[in-house]
Amino acid sequence: MTSYKLNTEAAEPAAVECRGLNLKIKKKIILDDISFDIPQGSLTGLLGPNGAGKSSLLRIISGLASPDAGAVQIFGKPAGVKQLGSLSLLPDRSSLPGWLSVKEWLEFACGIYPDWDQAKAQELQQQLSVSGESLISAMSRGEEARLQLLTCLSRKAPLIILDEPFTGVDLISRERIASAVVGELADGARTFLIATHDIREMELLFDRLILIGDGRVRGIEDVEQLRRSGKSVESRYREVFA
Amino acid sequence: MDQPYELLPEQFQINPSLPIYEQFVEAIQRRIISGLIPPGSRLPSVRDLAAGRGVNPTTAARTYQELERMGLIVTYRGQGTFVTREDAVIGEARKVIMRKAIKEFKAAADTLGITAEQLLEFDKEDSNDIL
Repeated sequence: MTSYKLNTEAAEPAAVECRGLNLKIKKKIILDDISFDIPQGSLTGLLGPNGAGKSSLLRIISGLASPDAGAVQIFGKPAGVKQLGSLSLLPDRSSLPGWLSVKEWLEFACGIYPDWDQAKAQELQQQLSVSGESLISAMSRGEEARLQLLTCLSRKAPLIILDEPFTGVDLISRERIASAVVGELADGARTFLIATHDIREMELLFDRLILIGDGRVRGIEDVEQLRRSGKSVESRYREVFA
Repeated sequence: MDQPYELLPEQFQINPSLPIYEQFVEAIQRRIISGLIPPGSRLPSVRDLAAGRGVNPTTAARTYQELERMGLIVTYRGQGTFVTREDAVIGEARKVIMRKAIKEFKAAADTLGITAEQLLEFDKEDSNDIL
């Protein structure tokens, strides 16, 4: 049986290490001195109200944008284009090419991602009930979200970053998505960073929280310790942001 | 053998303000003690338990570790995890839960300003009255 990281060894580098990140857009402060670590194998929730800076932060971590100051390390190496292969990002409000069928899209994805796992894609297609014949433009929001997650998880990348995977997604799709994430977490040594403001869907999955508001870190929590002190993820969120 | 029983009731409500593995341990323990999960039953894998309930795999792993520490379940390498067949171990666990129940019962009587015996006595008289 896998040992599920119960004894954390300090030897391995953090999956994500942010140090003193600052970002300004047109004089507006978007990120203000953001620092935190995400240990390998963790499922961390990045929580905060709309406009807190979550998506900007995720773009910097993914190497798609640069901060004005500060640095990000991914598995001990500076974030940037060279680290794109070690992470798989599900961006907020992304859309897939609507003129393709699911099958055509997956063949295309298989061609562009060097770490694509075809067997995993097939397994997830079944688990997430995504039919290969559907035309992407004819899919519901929930179906497209499941297809996006499928695309994201079918890569072997050790770090998975999901930006609001539940926005506008129906209840059954939400449950399927959550269950697929659990399966992936249990199967291998992947690390998940999930930004969401839908706390209830994911509350039981998180083992760690990073709360950000107005561009600043408002709290870093171990979820087990929160529960030991009689608090839930939701009550802690209210404490910080209400 | 496939599972003819439910490890946890389908409608099991998780309290998100308390450690989840403790709630799982408590519920599964009671189901083993009462025989709802028979001795020798095979338990789902950590992955299936976690995915089925939508909890972190660490929560599921801790649940099994704790039940294993209590001796209520046993893992055989390569075969899976099973409920113990040792009656003595189950009997001991039953006693622990019984003590807890008595304590709660006494506490309830205490809040009414009577003894547990008086509360039981009342129950006897009360049922006689109804008959």
